[in-house]
Amino acid sequence: MGILLGGLYALIALGLSLVFGVMRLINVAHGDLVVLGTYFAYAALSFFHVDPILSLIMGIPFLFAVGFIIQKYLMSRSFGVSMEAALIIAFGISLILQNLNQILWTPLSRGLTTAYSVESFSVGEVFIPYAYLFDFIAALIVMVFLRTFLKRTYLGKAIVAASQNKRGALLMGINTARIYALTFGIAMATAAVAGVFLGLTFPFSPTTGVAFLIISFGVIVIGGLGSMIGTFIGGMVIGLAQTLGGHFFGDAAQMLIAYIIVLVALSIRPQGIFGR
Amino acid sequence: MNNTFPALWARLITVVVIILLAALPLLGAPRAWFLYLFLFFTYLAMANMWNLLAGYSGLISLCQPAFIGLAGYTVVIVTWSGLPFYLGIIGGGIVSMAFALLISIPVFRLRGIYFAIGTLVVPEALRIVFLLWKPVGGALQGAGAGYRLKGLAELSMTETYWMAFFIGMISFFLMRLILRSRLGLGLATIRDSDSTAASIGVDVFRMKLYSFVIGSLVTGMAGGIFYVYQGYIEPTSAFGIRWTMILMLSCVIGGLGIETGPLIGAAVVVFLHFYLAKYTGINLLIQGILLVIVMLLAPHGIMGSVRGLRGYRVRH
Repeated sequence: MGILLGGLYALIALGLSLVFGVMRLINVAHGDLVVLGTYFAYAALSFFHVDPILSLIMGIPFLFAVGFIIQKYLMSRSFGVSMEAALIIAFGISLILQNLNQILWTPLSRGLTTAYSVESFSVGEVFIPYAYLFDFIAALIVMVFLRTFLKRTYLGKAIVAASQNKRGALLMGINTARIYALTFGIAMATAAVAGVFLGLTFPFSPTTGVAFLIISFGVIVIGGLGSMIGTFIGGMVIGLAQTLGGHFFGDAAQMLIAYIIVLVALSIRPQGIFGR
Repeated sequence: MNNTFPALWARLITVVVIILLAALPLLGAPRAWFLYLFLFFTYLAMANMWNLLAGYSGLISLCQPAFIGLAGYTVVIVTWSGLPFYLGIIGGGIVSMAFALLISIPVFRLRGIYFAIGTLVVPEALRIVFLLWKPVGGALQGAGAGYRLKGLAELSMTETYWMAFFIGMISFFLMRLILRSRLGLGLATIRDSDSTAASIGVDVFRMKLYSFVIGSLVTGMAGGIFYVYQGYIEPTSAFGIRWTMILMLSCVIGGLGIETGPLIGAAVVVFLHFYLAKYTGINLLIQGILLVIVMLLAPHGIMGSVRGLRGYRVRH
């Protein structure tokens, strides 16, 4: 169960890892952007009765556009000032989104309830909700897709080049500013997928973002910043730790265990298990 | 000659303003002023310390709410144990200082961006700890994890005002003192370049630790004073991200890494706080937008821009 849950965490952390890997920017607003994706699916479900997974056809382009705009008009300017400026702006965006969601949807806790999100199947004596299984499958699909994209397409190769050496990429005729904006957009597209599955698995509220942001930090810190396989394994580790922690120390302590693991992982090996 | 004359005037005006502010309760100013000024001074103290960390030492510390909340809880425990509240404030400062020393072991192994992440986790973890926390002995009263402070009824607004005034002034002069000392010079070198500082013999670790610990002490005391005024505490707001927001906004609006920055910034934040109070829902939304806009248009804040206009060279 923890491993399946880890799929969700890996999925959420993927966008964060991508943005960090390419731009060296810790996007503090990532959790809130994921939750924005969840609310988008929620709106589609409650107003138009569109299945959350189906609504991704709209949700992915929408968040892609949001990401593109954020990078192009806000972040790219701040890179010229200093690294702290970008961090502070991301923090500002996080606050804006949290409060926007709060105004639009009220601070109540909600869930994406569909016919299949409450069903579960049993393995031996353990009942596992289908949502957990879907999380894992979705994480695998997105990860394989992103990997092939980065390896096979021209744009993907350009992104990898820009992340390895910005100046070198510029000299080779790659428009790095544009690549950065596209990368942010792609990261947000994965956030849209993550958001939907987050909503199917857990109840969410406008302030959920921070908790998942920290979990994703944990995931990429354990797995190594910018490494995709590492992200996946990091997700498993956190997922397992959380479920086991919840089992042994009670549900309330679940998150605490995850936080402590993040702190310990950071202090022992900040660059992660698979980090460069 | 030309230069010293205005400087003398500036100093004179500063002294007069400080005396006026200190004597304000005796002059019979309107009550609402004290509230504004109270918040201004507490925010000023915290913002000054954040400026010391982020602006001068290059430590983007996102764990300031941890110090504020811990100090607040210390004040609660002290007042419930029947001790006077000022012991609580001092104790709060000491507790958060001890906590800063404790977490400095893991977080100081991190640099730059990793430091920011590491410190972001701390208040979140503490929030959960305090939500789970059950007082032992049953002397404390309160629902859930929220607690009232005891025996503060006789405390007047004037006294809390003076406390805030005091901590605000301490923080301001402490900054002046630090920046003109060896520590300040060391910190400035570290901010500009870690490795250069180390190579010319600055003890990077110790310098950062000093500023982190001093920052936590003053932030904790200011937090304690705030909770003496507020009268109750609960984990979600005590360890909330709102604190970080206030500190960041004050420093960024006023000018990060500029001594007078937090003064202007804190004034703007308090003004916004009361001006936007009628629009409860969008209050933080507007602050977030403001943070982004200021960062993009005037990365050096108001004081930075003023300095730029007067023809000084600003960093970068």
